[in-house]
Amino acid sequence: MIRNGRVYEVFARKKRADRFEHVGAVSAPNEQLARVYAWQTYDEAKWFEMTVAPRDAFAAVNRPQAPFTLGAPAGRAAADSR
Amino acid sequence: MGRFTDEELQRKVQEGFIVESEEDMTETYKRALITQLTVQGDTELISAPAYFMAARDAPSTNTMVSATAIIQDELGHANIAYRLLEDLGVDRHWLLYEREPAHFKHPYGFDQPLMNWAELVSANALYDRAGITLLGDVHRNTSYGPLKRGLVKVSMEENFHLRHGEVWIRRFAEAGGAAKEAVQRTLDWMFPMGVEWFGMPDDRKHHNAQLDFRLKGMTNDQLRRTWLKAVVPLCEELGYDLPAQYDPASDEVELTYELPCQYDPEARRWLYDETITWKQVFERWKARGPMNEQYVDSLRRSRFAVERLLAA
Ligand SMILES: [Fe+2]
Ligand SMILES: [Fe+2]
Repeated sequence: MIRNGRVYEVFARKKRADRFEHVGAVSAPNEQLARVYAWQTYDEAKWFEMTVAPRDAFAAVNRPQAPFTLGAPAGRAAADSR
Repeated sequence: MGRFTDEELQRKVQEGFIVESEEDMTETYKRALITQLTVQGDTELISAPAYFMAARDAPSTNTMVSATAIIQDELGHANIAYRLLEDLGVDRHWLLYEREPAHFKHPYGFDQPLMNWAELVSANALYDRAGITLLGDVHRNTSYGPLKRGLVKVSMEENFHLRHGEVWIRRFAEAGGAAKEAVQRTLDWMFPMGVEWFGMPDDRKHHNAQLDFRLKGMTNDQLRRTWLKAVVPLCEELGYDLPAQYDPASDEVELTYELPCQYDPEARRWLYDETITWKQVFERWKARGPMNEQYVDSLRRSRFAVERLLAA
């Protein structure tokens, strides 16, 4: 459940000839902050190139649902089972 | 949700099936996964203010940089866990800003104050070792695809934190005297915290959804043993005293005190002579430790201040 903004998927590669790798995701209120959060959060390598795209920009090709999506219903109670 | 029954899914994940979407899950699987991720996220998150408290005592700008780099890593790790929770329908704003501090699920060890550089590097050596032990097992064994991928970065960075701790407690040991004494005093209260980190012993837990659904691979006792076998021989080599003994012949570690054990947080002392039950330990965990509210509050204070500025 996202209150502010959207989820952005983060892709990066270490050097020119490499394929892009899906390295994670960030939630952000806009694209500028998504870029900052991605760069700061996924700093485990000296990336040659990093890019972000909103999760809802991805379309399914051969599966019923687009990747990265769990289609989760909202709810807070689930985490409160101490 | 609902393609499989619990029994079908349990059999499939034991055979290597990887869960990638909501319809691969059952309600029980999802609940167990949410609990696991909440513990993971809370532990990473609360380590940040705990380490920050001690980082203010960094002895130089270089050491301050390495300590704050670790803190930044931990916040990134928390973000990874909370993002995954968000995808499972849990409200992150509520997780971070609305829960009672006492409802956070990190281990009791991170409710303690870390007062100085010796305590920070000891925590890196003991607690980050506990982190690697737990998350390394999850990384290798989890049936949840998104978590397996998320842990690549986490594992890499936790290793760096652990090395930071081990290099430094070695330095303190080699310096001897008051330096070594400072780490020894820390280990005296911190080591049994690490032993408790892995939870109740196996014979207290009859049923474990996280194992049944392959959200982890090892039991509490197996994980504790792995941690002990890494920590105790190293500390012995460095000449630190622990209430535990490593036997090279059997390659086993034996605690020299009785579990469970009571802790006096004001005196920062373990009461080895008092006999207690696990139920009492569980109550101490639930009541939370001395820094619980302050650590959670330190993550919240200015968040609301800036929100008010932005709304004005
Ligand atoms: Fe971490
Ligand atoms: Fe760490």
